[in-house]
Amino acid sequence: MELLEIHHLSKSFPGVKALDDVSLAVRSGEVHALCGENGAGKSTLMHILSGNLNPETGKIVFDGKELRLKGPLDAFRSGISIVHQHLSLTDTLSVAENIFANRQPVTRWGLIDFERLYRESSVLLERLQIDVDPKARVGALSAGQKQMIEIAKALAREPKLLILDEPTASVTDKEVTILFRIIRQLTTEGVSVIYISHRLNEIFEIADTITVLRDGVLQGTWPARDLTRDSLIRLMVGRNLQLQEFASHRGEEVLLEARNLSNGYIPALNLKLHKGEILGMAGLVGAGRTEIARLLFGADPPQQGELLLDQQPVEVTHPENAILNGIFYLPEDRKTQSLFPHLSIEETLFSARLTGKAMTGKVKRFRENAAAFVKKLRVATPDTAKKVAQLSGGNQQKVFLAKLLLGEPKVLIADEPTHGIDIGAKHDVYNLLRQLAAEGRGIILISSELPELLILCDRILVIRDKKIAGSLLRNEASEARILELAMGSN
Amino acid sequence: MRKILEDRIYSLSVLLIVIVVVAGLVYPDTFLTADNFRQLLLNLSIDAIVAVGMMILLIAGVFDLSVGSILAFAGCFTAHLMFFYEVPVFWAVGAGLAASGLLGCLNGYLIAYKGINAMIQTLAMMGIARGLALMVSGAAIQNLPYWFGAIGQSKLLGVQMPVWYMLLIVGVFTFLMSKTVFFRRYYYIGSNEVAAALSGIRVKRMKMIAFIISALLAGIAGVLLTSRLGAALPTMGRGLELRVITAVILGGASLSGGVGRIPGALLGALFMGIAANIMVIARVSGYWQDIIVGIILILTLWTDQSLKKNYE
Repeated sequence: MELLEIHHLSKSFPGVKALDDVSLAVRSGEVHALCGENGAGKSTLMHILSGNLNPETGKIVFDGKELRLKGPLDAFRSGISIVHQHLSLTDTLSVAENIFANRQPVTRWGLIDFERLYRESSVLLERLQIDVDPKARVGALSAGQKQMIEIAKALAREPKLLILDEPTASVTDKEVTILFRIIRQLTTEGVSVIYISHRLNEIFEIADTITVLRDGVLQGTWPARDLTRDSLIRLMVGRNLQLQEFASHRGEEVLLEARNLSNGYIPALNLKLHKGEILGMAGLVGAGRTEIARLLFGADPPQQGELLLDQQPVEVTHPENAILNGIFYLPEDRKTQSLFPHLSIEETLFSARLTGKAMTGKVKRFRENAAAFVKKLRVATPDTAKKVAQLSGGNQQKVFLAKLLLGEPKVLIADEPTHGIDIGAKHDVYNLLRQLAAEGRGIILISSELPELLILCDRILVIRDKKIAGSLLRNEASEARILELAMGSN
Repeated sequence: MRKILEDRIYSLSVLLIVIVVVAGLVYPDTFLTADNFRQLLLNLSIDAIVAVGMMILLIAGVFDLSVGSILAFAGCFTAHLMFFYEVPVFWAVGAGLAASGLLGCLNGYLIAYKGINAMIQTLAMMGIARGLALMVSGAAIQNLPYWFGAIGQSKLLGVQMPVWYMLLIVGVFTFLMSKTVFFRRYYYIGSNEVAAALSGIRVKRMKMIAFIISALLAGIAGVLLTSRLGAALPTMGRGLELRVITAVILGGASLSGGVGRIPGALLGALFMGIAANIMVIARVSGYWQDIIVGIILILTLWTDQSLKKNYE
């Protein structure tokens, strides 16, 4: 039986047709994966289903009735709950108050009934096997736990349709297992789930049905078992992706060396990065990989120890020093750490000129270089006056990379450079990193996606508890070996 | 059309021209005279000078409530030195400006390096600087040296000097904020402080410098006002901070930072000055003047918001 039917839905924004005559159906009790690159129209479709956007044409039938949503509240009332990629939790309030935000149970005097609030939250958390105290402050939870609370919040409304938008972007493998168990339990209760993710492995693990969108156009809907990883990628991207063969460019010369480098977060770091080397950093969320990057970049400056670049000691007490010395950092969180929301692509690229080598020289030459990079990295926009905030995640990341490359880095520290970007852009980033290594630059690649580290790196450092737990050469490394070191189990 | 509405420099200029033309037709004898315009420009020159500093702060994502008090303190301190200690005009003015810069430095240091909220810090400084102004001037200081009066009372090409200073300051900072790397950094800081720091900008230092510039401009305005009045009053610049923030917001700045241009500060001050001038000529009561300025501010922000919504 069909729970949700979407007929001929269209929606445009200035300059783009976000959805073009899209039709699809979701059966009750199924997990329906929605796949496509960033900008394919998935988010627009989700925003329409959650009542945030109105379609121009088309019709939505939900549970046998035509659906007309005037706002998010309407969607909740009809039985559609959505878990957005960006969390909607209030850090200063308790878990229970977040779960029942704006619909806290009340006593007959109209005051909040905290006893019932905590009781009902406990029951729900227990049912979902989420081990969190309902009275705990959300701000004190880990990113993964927050994500689980967000899902609990959506489920507290007892929806018939649950929409999950990139629910595993910031959670650990263990939490993914819990999440999948919850999803399976829900489907046996007859709840339908629309699942959006860039992680293809997860899609094949959990989905019954897969719908593919590309550039706002429906490519089709298939049972998951009829597709393979490769055929799905081809449908999403519309072209065959080719990754250059791995070839090591690791030179003999040591480019960057840390000797007992430490600050308040990292005790005594020792590492060597060779010219032309791609050095991977694996580890669990919170193991200290980002802290190491910030230490090397001077964002959290070192208090003790030595940092040598080209065998010469360098003082890196502020990112400015790092950049002047040719050490660049691509931050983990695009939105909060890289993006200037008001600024255009050109102005963003200009921030490379704010300090460091590119500061001098002709503006015209710089402009030409910037334009060349935009083209070379295949940023999907003809117009550099466009605001970066209006680009898709993958294109944003390319702009931020271009900005760093304009500063002529010797060492590039890339922190989760492919986090949440589509597979086409991912391949572009991979090819770029390899090319940089081939030019003799050193690259430190922090990533939580093990396959990515395994195809790109000459050497992988596994970080556990703020320390290097192990160093694996390319031929020694495997997912199992990395995880073993990362978790510290023997 | 959309472009014109979105670019505040354009839209405000067009609005100003319309207002001037309409007012000129209605009050040809009183409004549209050279004398009136000279007076009008003189009156708004003090606000406009302070507005330039405020614009820089708002672009960087902060603001300063203490500018009115710093203006009063700079004027009173300069007068105090000249009157009681017979310090030469040049050195007294220098000391007055240095003192205002010092207060700005204190604001900037505590906000940028110690993390005190900009509103609270500058609110506190608003009281402190006003108190200092009262302390050094008492009720008022009169009988200032002749050469001090010349700073703000002399004329060039028939226009009073404060107007020229204003144009010079607006011109210099327009150039700096649009053409130099150093000052362009404020746009990045206001747009995203974290990303700016990771781009190698020393955000804290830059912020402190912005507060010093703002306080220095307030100090210059204070010296000019004292010179023009021929007396230092501790009540000078009362309510200035809100008037200036209004002008700057009208001129295209946003409290969330990252946007705005220096000419906008001048246009905003010009708009407020012309509106006040017309209301005086039209004999609108003083109460209504404040109400109308408030309504104009709300309408501007409302238009902004609805434009933004259409876009998203």
